[in-house]
Amino acid sequence: MSRLETMSTGKKISYSVLAIWLFGIIFFAIIYGVTAHKAPDVASGTFSPTNEFKLDTWFSLGPVAFNKGVLYLLITVTLTIGIMVYAADHLHERPGRLQVVVEWFYSLTRGLATDNMSRKLEKKYFPFIATLFVFILVTNLIGYIPLPVNTTDKFTLFGAHLPSFQLYAVDTNVAFPLILALSVFVLFNYEGIKYHGLGGYFKSLIPAGIGKGLLPLIALIEVLSIFLRLISLTVRLWANLLAGHLLIAFMGGELGVLVGQTVVSWALLPLGVAIFLFEAVLIAGLQAFIFAILTAIYLGGAVSSH
Amino acid sequence: MLFSLLHPILTLATTGDVTKAGRAIALGVGAGGGAAGAGAGIGFLFGSVIESVTRQPEMRDEITSIQWLGFALTEATFFYGLVGGFIAFFL
Repeated sequence: MSRLETMSTGKKISYSVLAIWLFGIIFFAIIYGVTAHKAPDVASGTFSPTNEFKLDTWFSLGPVAFNKGVLYLLITVTLTIGIMVYAADHLHERPGRLQVVVEWFYSLTRGLATDNMSRKLEKKYFPFIATLFVFILVTNLIGYIPLPVNTTDKFTLFGAHLPSFQLYAVDTNVAFPLILALSVFVLFNYEGIKYHGLGGYFKSLIPAGIGKGLLPLIALIEVLSIFLRLISLTVRLWANLLAGHLLIAFMGGELGVLVGQTVVSWALLPLGVAIFLFEAVLIAGLQAFIFAILTAIYLGGAVSSH
Repeated sequence: MLFSLLHPILTLATTGDVTKAGRAIALGVGAGGGAAGAGAGIGFLFGSVIESVTRQPEMRDEITSIQWLGFALTEATFFYGLVGGFIAFFL
């Protein structure tokens, strides 16, 4: 009994959570059994893991089909512009918390831009890089807040048919990272061609001192690597977020639904929580930072010779 | 354990669905090979960060920012392999 009294509160809570988890596994294994079978909704095709990312058109405004992704995009734009303009209008000598965060974003992106680009280029493109960073950061982060946007499975609350809550991030649709990467691609090629001239830009890709025989091969590889930058920027952001959301969905109980066993859902729940925290705290900010720093590197590298 | 890995492939092969088995193998190889490469790269990167911070503790912040850049670039190659696997699976 004295060991229980001398244990700290943190340890007590950890031990009780562990005990609840183990007890839950035994409980669900006894009640629902451990035979695997496909859940009836999955077998009939009503439910599939990709439903989370499906975009149903809610209504159309001319050519624009308004759906979940468009709603999230509008929320992101409003939040980014609103927070930044509000912080810029209310600057104090002794900064409050919001101003500290915004100032940290500024110093981070300013450091990125100055380290990787020449002075002239940095003056021109620093706002672009800072906007990219904050925009992608806000998009990633609001993807971890459950919002009622799931119109496929609705629930009733006091008689109203409401869309269910779900986690969704716009980056999981390939169009969003693709457009951002395309704009970076067009910009750095434009800057390179403007600085070197069209032929000179291709000449600047090839390092000096290559023998005549290897030249076509090296030239081909370098041109391919330019296009590979576009693909890698897109796929890096897209696949990181998609894999993260899929893992959260699967570990948070969907795997149990797919195999039809409740014990699997319960057993994987701590892993789901761990992955959710890992994604929200680390991957969201890291992917935004990586996109911004790679933009700065590509822009800076386009106006220098190899 | 090897049997439980081969069993779905064998069942599909004997029921004549070799295409489905091939797709399953392609997706598994894409994801598994990608994970192996990314794991090796990230482990090596963080190991060298530990070593260099031990040699020069005053450079810690600079090295940390380069570390995050390297981590994200290395992890991206896993997703290239995974996307390649998905393309092999669905196309």
